[in-house]
Amino acid sequence: MEGKLSSVAKNFTPSPIQELSQLAQRCNAINLAEGFPDFPAPPCIKEAAVSAINNDFNQYRHVQGICDQLALKMKKTHGLDVNPLTDIAICCGQSEAFAAAIFSIINQGDEVLLFDPCYETYEGCITLAGGIPVYVALEPPQWTLDPEKLMRSFTSRTKAIVLNSPHNPTGKVFSRDELEIIAEGCRRWDCVAITDEVYEYITYDNQKHETIAKLPGMQERTIITSSLSKTFSVTGWRIGWAIAPASAASTIQNIHIRITDSAPAPFQEAALTALRSPIEYFETLRGVYELKRDFCMKLLGSVGFRIQFKPQGSLFLFAELPKDCLLSDVEYVEELIQQAGVVVVPGRGFFHGNESCKYQKRYIRVAFCKSEATLNAAAQKFGELINAKACPKIVY
Amino acid sequence: MQAAECTWTHFEMLRPLCFKSPSTTPLFFNFSKHFQKGFSDSSFFRSNRRISNYPSFMATISSLSTHKDPVSTHDATPNITHQPVQVAKRLEKFKTTIFTQMSMLAIKHGAINLGQGFPNFDGPDFVKEAAIQAIKDGKNQYARGYGVPDFNNAIAARFKKDTGLVIDPEKEVTVTSGCTEAIAATMLGLINPGDEVILFAPFYDSYEATLSMAGAKVKCITLRPPDFAVPIDELKSTISKNTRAILINTPHNPTGKMFTREELNTIASLCIENDVLVFTDEVYDKLAFEMDHISMASLPGMYERTVTMNSLGKTFSLTGWKIGWAIAPPHLTWGVRQAHSFLTFATSTPMQYAATVALQAPDSYFAELKRDYMAKKAILVQGLKDVGFKVFPSSGTYFVVVDHTPFGLENDIAFCEYLIKEVGVVAIPTSVFYLNPDDGKNLVRFTFCKDEETLRSAVERMKEKLKKK
Repeated sequence: MEGKLSSVAKNFTPSPIQELSQLAQRCNAINLAEGFPDFPAPPCIKEAAVSAINNDFNQYRHVQGICDQLALKMKKTHGLDVNPLTDIAICCGQSEAFAAAIFSIINQGDEVLLFDPCYETYEGCITLAGGIPVYVALEPPQWTLDPEKLMRSFTSRTKAIVLNSPHNPTGKVFSRDELEIIAEGCRRWDCVAITDEVYEYITYDNQKHETIAKLPGMQERTIITSSLSKTFSVTGWRIGWAIAPASAASTIQNIHIRITDSAPAPFQEAALTALRSPIEYFETLRGVYELKRDFCMKLLGSVGFRIQFKPQGSLFLFAELPKDCLLSDVEYVEELIQQAGVVVVPGRGFFHGNESCKYQKRYIRVAFCKSEATLNAAAQKFGELINAKACPKIVY
Repeated sequence: MQAAECTWTHFEMLRPLCFKSPSTTPLFFNFSKHFQKGFSDSSFFRSNRRISNYPSFMATISSLSTHKDPVSTHDATPNITHQPVQVAKRLEKFKTTIFTQMSMLAIKHGAINLGQGFPNFDGPDFVKEAAIQAIKDGKNQYARGYGVPDFNNAIAARFKKDTGLVIDPEKEVTVTSGCTEAIAATMLGLINPGDEVILFAPFYDSYEATLSMAGAKVKCITLRPPDFAVPIDELKSTISKNTRAILINTPHNPTGKMFTREELNTIASLCIENDVLVFTDEVYDKLAFEMDHISMASLPGMYERTVTMNSLGKTFSLTGWKIGWAIAPPHLTWGVRQAHSFLTFATSTPMQYAATVALQAPDSYFAELKRDYMAKKAILVQGLKDVGFKVFPSSGTYFVVVDHTPFGLENDIAFCEYLIKEVGVVAIPTSVFYLNPDDGKNLVRFTFCKDEETLRSAVERMKEKLKKK
């Protein structure tokens, strides 16, 4: 049997991140690591799900109304014309929509551009489909996009570029100019843009999220993926979608059907309610998260962090360790768990590429999609440390 | 505070198996070879736009509408230039167009649907209430990727009850979005491009699709009426040291066949001899009527090389919840979990809590389930015999296949169309479940996962209007 395992499988070794996760669990740490809320989902959406279960929406289904709602939203928000009957595939979360999108267009040897740092799962999907991930580093501390670096990364083998905006982990929202640069690359090299827009409604300081699909020449070569999860605090419901030109959407639908066949039926029904939420819902969402973002920035500031890049969107703060801190990201996170009982994510897992840049081990990611109680508890712990003046490794 | 169930623990996952697909064209509209879809296939857009994967093709009847082919309404974008892509042979074989045509006909003629493979009645209240409670209790965020701990435990407990095998829920159970995803994750996680995999025809159509996504070389062994027994000699000559895996669906969709202990023993010894993996799809295991269900994993020497897959949907009439699982020894579970983490990442949280309750249902639930289905089966089978079909014995599942040739139609598709239009009943043409459609042209499949009144009405219509030639 051993002989039948792949060589990849045989190289498996435990990672420091896995060990930190276990440490955090043992210490029952306050969780500012995971990217999902610890406060309840909106009541009316939960009620819609409950109602769907009671009304027997429990067998395989495809709820066309979701596509209708999404098409309306695309028109209203981005001015895009999307045909709800042909251009949208409902999937089990953005995760599945992305996987299906990758499988639909990536062949063995195709290169896919990714911005670095980035969410880990993209690479796994691409590799599973036989593609080759190629990283284009965003430059700290502002995570700027270097147009020349980007253009140099395109080759004749480049099939697609993945664009996650608002961005996990940095909180960057790609500007119109940056989208233009990326679009230019796509047009010039005849590539597809696959977007992950799960944080589309979570932007700050009057920043607006724009989809690259609305730029000239882009709708026909963009696959948009997104979901209910972050907008409606229901990451466990697995309702997402892909929006693309009809041929791509139908292929994605084909693949989705072979992978899972149907997204959970009662939650599709609830999605109808969610997507019809009034504009006030989204404004409140933004406002609430902005306050939490500011709170977290202050929190880190109080222990010596100098936040050079204020998140413009998403649920994360990506902060560089204080200059005086000699620890690596993993060491800092470990100290934070043990001394303060707070867990965050070491940034190194988000970086890839061949650049052995020191900064890749100098960042932590803090998730602020947490209840007031959680954030206050974290603040209290930090306060204790500051007052005790006994924690030189955390307080700077 | 809740203990960390960090979403970043998947960082330690290494690269999963790569798979090859040959196409090298860079154009956007030339998709990876397995999924090329022609613009000529416009019936796809014209009808319900949902490729009718086998159990769900009727699901969208309520949302069907007539609409035109898509017309570009973009304002500023230039013309999309592309060559019309030839529909890949593989997609033709999936007969998706047939299903969509059937759906349209069914509605148009108000036909009684004994084709769709899911119930027209709902699941038990105690399970639905558990899901509702979970939603209200706030269990709405990401579950642990490979399953909510309580649910993994419940799966292990159920498996022990059913097979006697003791397994580690933490290391040997993976929760997936339905058995469909368990199959996809198993194929993508454990099959290398070019690996040989043996399938028994007729087969649930997602098997072939996911095998082609994994780049496998499919070797098909056809099960034939009247008893759909495994042709042992053919199996012996097909299986070899080059075989990577064999896929077994028991109880079997569409025939209702259940693999006997003898058959399983023979397959087992061939697998051990040739070092072959076994993937079993056992979603109908609780709908075993004429004999006891046997899990391959419980045979001597087989657990270490078997992935046993199952789901909630059929047993609890909640097919839309998408709760499934794969049980396998740790070294195989690893591959399944890898692929799963990149396919869907996590499975619906509240439904997992409800499924935990479901799996702990008392024996009386399962006994009553069987009784109900056996009563329904009796109505249908007797009815079909009275009408004049040649009915093949079905030991399990809620399907029965029949020979339609007494009615003089030239093949299964023609018969099904006739049945919808002239009689007002829907059945499934089984040719879509074969690599070689001709193998299925005499057979159609009926389902009895419908309330008794529906079954009786369908039988009445057939008695009245279906005449032997």
